Amino acid sequence: MKRTQTIENFLFLYCWSCGIFLITVVACLIGFLLYKSMPNIGLKLIFGDVHWYKALIGKQIVFDGIWPAMVGTFFLIILSTVISIPLGISAGIYLSEYCPANLKAMFSFFIDLLAGIPSIVMGLFGFSLVLLIHKFITPAANTCLIVSALSLAFLVLPYLIKTTQIALSSIPKESQLIGPSLGFSKLDDLWHIRLPQSTKNILSGIILSIGRCAEDTAVIMLTGVVAIGGISDSIFSKYEALPFYIFYIAAEYTSAEELARGYGASLILLTITGTLFFVSYMIRKRLEKRW
Amino acid sequence: MKDKILERCLYLAGLFAVSLSVLILFFLIYFSLPLFQPAILKNILSFEWQPLYGKFGILPMALTSIILAVLAVTIALPIGLGISCLLSSLANKGIAKIGDILIRFMTSIPTVIYGFVSIFVLIPFIRDISGKGSGFCLLSAIFVLSILILPTMVLLISDSFKSVPKSYIESSKALGFTPIQELIYIIIPYSKFGIINAVILGFGRAIGDTMIALMIAGNAAQVPYSFFDSVRTLTAQIALVLASDTESLTFKSIFASGLILFIFMLLASLSSYFIIHKKRLNQ
Amino acid sequence: MVDTKFQSDWKIHIENLCVRFGSKEVIKNTSASFSQNKINSIIGPSGSGKTTLLRAINRLNDIEENCYTSGKLFIKLEDKWHNILSNYSSPVYLRRKIGMVFQHPNPLPTTIKRNITLALKIITGLSRSEREERLINSLQQVHLWDEVKDRLKKPALILSGGQQQRLCLARTLALEPEIILLDEPTSSLDFKASKRIEQLLLELKQKYTLIVVSHSLRQTRRISDKVYVLSNGKIAQELSSIQIHDDQMFYKVAEDFF
Repeated sequence: MKRTQTIENFLFLYCWSCGIFLITVVACLIGFLLYKSMPNIGLKLIFGDVHWYKALIGKQIVFDGIWPAMVGTFFLIILSTVISIPLGISAGIYLSEYCPANLKAMFSFFIDLLAGIPSIVMGLFGFSLVLLIHKFITPAANTCLIVSALSLAFLVLPYLIKTTQIALSSIPKESQLIGPSLGFSKLDDLWHIRLPQSTKNILSGIILSIGRCAEDTAVIMLTGVVAIGGISDSIFSKYEALPFYIFYIAAEYTSAEELARGYGASLILLTITGTLFFVSYMIRKRLEKRW
Repeated sequence: MKDKILERCLYLAGLFAVSLSVLILFFLIYFSLPLFQPAILKNILSFEWQPLYGKFGILPMALTSIILAVLAVTIALPIGLGISCLLSSLANKGIAKIGDILIRFMTSIPTVIYGFVSIFVLIPFIRDISGKGSGFCLLSAIFVLSILILPTMVLLISDSFKSVPKSYIESSKALGFTPIQELIYIIIPYSKFGIINAVILGFGRAIGDTMIALMIAGNAAQVPYSFFDSVRTLTAQIALVLASDTESLTFKSIFASGLILFIFMLLASLSSYFIIHKKRLNQ
Repeated sequence: MVDTKFQSDWKIHIENLCVRFGSKEVIKNTSASFSQNKINSIIGPSGSGKTTLLRAINRLNDIEENCYTSGKLFIKLEDKWHNILSNYSSPVYLRRKIGMVFQHPNPLPTTIKRNITLALKIITGLSRSEREERLINSLQQVHLWDEVKDRLKKPALILSGGQQQRLCLARTLALEPEIILLDEPTSSLDFKASKRIEQLLLELKQKYTLIVVSHSLRQTRRISDKVYVLSNGKIAQELSSIQIHDDQMFYKVAEDFF
């Protein structure tokens, strides 16, 4: 009896120390980052020696600031979101509403498989698409912004599909019957009654996948990101991005100044993903409050 | 009618999403095809990677990937279990809620930032205690990777704790079990399939990670004999080799690496499926 | 050919209806006829299949996976008999002619006005003024108009349970159905609200044919013109108005089946 009591006490302490350990690790991570990057936050970090207004309107190119990387990440997010949202939500609707029951399990498996594909393999896929186009269509084909955006869209696709499926099925059962009982066609029921009720859930999923697009490095490494390339002038050109910039600095920094920029870029990237996470969380919370 | 066209579009989107993974597999196979000749195959599936001497063995990288993933999960599992227990029963409601938000926040931290900070915090530490090497080694990568996959595993385990039927919880409370006893004798045994699933998916995530391996593990293409050896994973291999000309065998070998990774993922997904199936049968 | 065997006061005629979900048979080869402009009540012990039978009429069971319905189900709509289980019959159009009210009031999470006008807008091709007319008309029929006419733009969820249920009823009436199916419409309402609904049903039967699944034997006695006792998936007994009000008969039925 005493022995089991001791074991149980030990386990209790163990669980708490795991929790404390984790909090310590996260605090150290963020604390260290803040400590190293705060002194450098400012317009110089972003725009280098160029005046911010001139950089914004594109009159002068920024060479020693992270502005091009921020712009690149921004365009990347927009492009990949524009591609993945309609595709993901449509596929999610198909799989939860129109898919015949016997195929559902198999299709589900393939979506889970897609979700498990490592990001580098997805990047490899994007790269091989370019190879194929290069071989069979035009030798001018090369890795670029649009290829990265497509590969990122494929990367977050399974997540959007799952989010849509869950959002549609978490409408209360009786609300799901209103449309059909009134004589709405399936499409009308979805568009006018059920999708509007799932909007908040789907939106929070979309925001999380935007975060995923912002932070991914492996995919973009293989599909067109460069360390120094300025702001791309078309979707068919190379571009810079924040996560790759951070990686590049970590691997190849040659001066304290460059390292400082790396820290600054890290903080900005963390702020972006953190804000997106926070917004997504708030949306879901407000949803619960309303009902 | 307009409705029919819209429904056709939905169908096409669904079909595309489902066939995408098959398409990716097909591409990997297509581009690795030139490698499937006995002589070349023997070269690729060997333990020596020295492209300048015509040796393209990717097995050291495959071995490293497996070892790294297994060890990272081995560390992450007990800690993950501890935290899940904490969040589900042992801590009071307020702390549990904060903990839940914190864990979810951790999943949104970019991998590259884990790597970046670790380079300046963990690596010097490892360098000092090992006395040799640069600190960029297997051990460092295991540590960082286990922290990376920890939140995912905690969320999965917590979910399976929550899915224990209410009747079991009620009877254990009625019997007067303490929270710890409830966890040890009821919740964890009942969730064992969920925990196994978390392990499988954690393994899949660990083996598929590129940035930690690339930034922390050292990238020497050798079989690891010590924790302080510099090593390279399959994922890092793909990232590093890409910058070569497209006709060389060096280049073609990355598709073989990709294919092996895909097969690992496929096995992990299938195992996960079987475990979930078993879980449902048990209930 | 089909019309001759139906009596003139019938509205719905069921022959050898079987409904099963997967391998579980819920409605087992049952037959019945429901009369026009009457309140037809279906009662039975829990699990006997009352909701399934009700939903068979507007084919709402089809929504469930693995649901198989066989047998014959004829409904007289627009003075013509239709076999609604045939492959040519569209459930969507059927449900526009048959209104349904559920056990728990389920207004849409939008304004009171939009609860009614949304369906009007999507399903009917009526002009704006015609829709307004139907809105007022349907709300008046359920005696809700005076209570809500000043707050049509307010969310429907501010209404009480009884008012919400009447709103759901108005929602179906706006589409001008011929039959209304009600699944335990007052089981989640308080005594006063229940009474109001019962009163309403007695008024509505003049214009519509009502099929009510009831949880309360007393309520059934109060409002029904005909009672169908469902037991173990089959209609075991039919009681006429006279028989319902005969105390001895009714208590015998209660004992036999419940």
